[in-house]
Amino acid sequence: MAFNPSDIAGKKVKENLPAEKAKKGILTVILNFILIVFSVTCMFPLIWMLYSSLKLSKEFQADIIALPKAPTFENYIYVANDPNSHIWTSLFASFRTTIISIIFIVLFSFIVGYILSRIDFKLNKIIYGMFLLGMLIPIHSLLVPIVVVFQKCGMYNKWFTLLLPYISFGLPIGIFLIESYLKGIPVELEEAAAIDGSSFTNTLFSIILPVCKPILATVGIIQTFACWNEFSFALVLINDVKYQTVPLALTNFSGQFSTNYPRMMTAMLITMAPIIILYFLFSKQIIKGMVAGAVKG
Amino acid sequence: MLKAIRPKNKVIVMYLFIPVLIYVFTVFIPLIAAFYFSFFKWKGGPKKTFIGLENYANLLTDKVFWSSFGHNIYLVVACIIGQIGFAFVFVLMINSRLVKFKGIHRTFGFFPSTISAVAIGFIWKIIYDYSYGLLNYFIDKAGATEWFMNVMNNGQPLVWKDMTSHIMLIVSIPLIWQFIGYYMVIILSAISSVDQEIFEVAELDGANAFQRAVYIIFPLIKNTLLVCVTLCIAGNMKAFDHIYNLTKGGPGTSSMVMALYGYKTSFRDHNMGYGSAISIGIFCCSLFVIVLSQQGAKLISKDKGGAE
Repeated sequence: MAFNPSDIAGKKVKENLPAEKAKKGILTVILNFILIVFSVTCMFPLIWMLYSSLKLSKEFQADIIALPKAPTFENYIYVANDPNSHIWTSLFASFRTTIISIIFIVLFSFIVGYILSRIDFKLNKIIYGMFLLGMLIPIHSLLVPIVVVFQKCGMYNKWFTLLLPYISFGLPIGIFLIESYLKGIPVELEEAAAIDGSSFTNTLFSIILPVCKPILATVGIIQTFACWNEFSFALVLINDVKYQTVPLALTNFSGQFSTNYPRMMTAMLITMAPIIILYFLFSKQIIKGMVAGAVKG
Repeated sequence: MLKAIRPKNKVIVMYLFIPVLIYVFTVFIPLIAAFYFSFFKWKGGPKKTFIGLENYANLLTDKVFWSSFGHNIYLVVACIIGQIGFAFVFVLMINSRLVKFKGIHRTFGFFPSTISAVAIGFIWKIIYDYSYGLLNYFIDKAGATEWFMNVMNNGQPLVWKDMTSHIMLIVSIPLIWQFIGYYMVIILSAISSVDQEIFEVAELDGANAFQRAVYIIFPLIKNTLLVCVTLCIAGNMKAFDHIYNLTKGGPGTSSMVMALYGYKTSFRDHNMGYGSAISIGIFCCSLFVIVLSQQGAKLISKDKGGAE
């Protein structure tokens, strides 16, 4: 925070009075205590699962909250090797779906966002309105009909099935973020490039794209979490374990390990690991990106 | 807009064709299909019978559908109060000079919102578990089991997932918990963009914490709060994942939400025709609520000319 004379003056006036000081002390304790409790409740389930996954079912049932007496990786070994858990195939499917979706969402929203913001053509308003409508449409009303359409077109339950809805649902917000970002970038940039003989495609990818990097990263971040965590469309569109994404596989574990909570927690932790690691490595950028996406979207 | 160096139409079409095609195929075609199928009696097999508006007539008098709609509204209201309310209070606290570890609160608080709804659902299923749940463990350790039994469940044991009369409260707590930090961070970023001197001056002028919150902070970030409310409404009208994993709409249909009802009708009861009508019903109801709230938001922010 910048140097602020009134700030110091305010502190001085107050700290001269002992009663004020005591009141401040109590307030400090209360405020910090409440917020620490809040932070702890946000993290505790994760921590609880982490150390409970090192217990066996029996020990867990004896005392659900105690730390493991003899930590063991038996649950991890079991879950990793159990052919019925399909944990590795689901991780692979999730990685594949998420990465491909992100690439296309970023690429398409960049192209469409750019064209809609910079080029005047007949259908511009209509296409713009269509994507705007896409933000308003409650996508969960598509849950049932999308299955019928995909079945009719032979696209139900394939490895690429989920890419289409994920790309489509990611596009509107991406397009609007990029479109509003481009408003702050002068058209002269492209005009100068055109005078120098740059083609439209060349200008788009070698001049505009680098300028848009920060906003493209934001779009990527938001959609990474959205795609990795998406559940309902995966539930209706996929019924082959081969193509199951992580959230779907989790629902299967719950049936399989329903009586064995530590094992269940282990499976959950393994499938959550990529996203947890990603979050704590880049939490600053992720939070910033998500907030920007939420407020501008 | 590019005027002098506008590319040829052919180039524009080439670039727009694939994204627009994918988008139309996954968003608009299914909607039209749902509208079409909603006029049929169709069990998912090859045989479809045209029945006109009968599905819609049934939908209008379908108690389960309307109670599901009511549950969606319940979630919206609970989350606006719970999520945004708590988030606002926490923001006021964090914004105080007295608080340490601001960055950590932000990182930890935001964390649950990045976890999938399925995982959240399971975590809370374990928390609510009768024998091995955290909740009953802490209630037991606090010696409050009896009190909770009397207040919540007419003196019956605390089997949380079976408490029909409180089930909506029970399913909304995980939802609220998950997103408090999310809204907290959004509101915090709005406050940090306001000139901090305003708060200092107000403090010097003798405004207490409550006055500062109500007369200074609240009006300054009103537009951000409206955005939060809109997000909350849109998010809860499509509630599905949490409920599916926590209660599957039960016991009975006491925690059923619209999307889950459409799903069950279509894929469990194989009633695709009626399921399509429900989809259109979800579409209309959600759109109505969302548009209504946005008009309301516009009115409020225009009315008092709130600052951004």
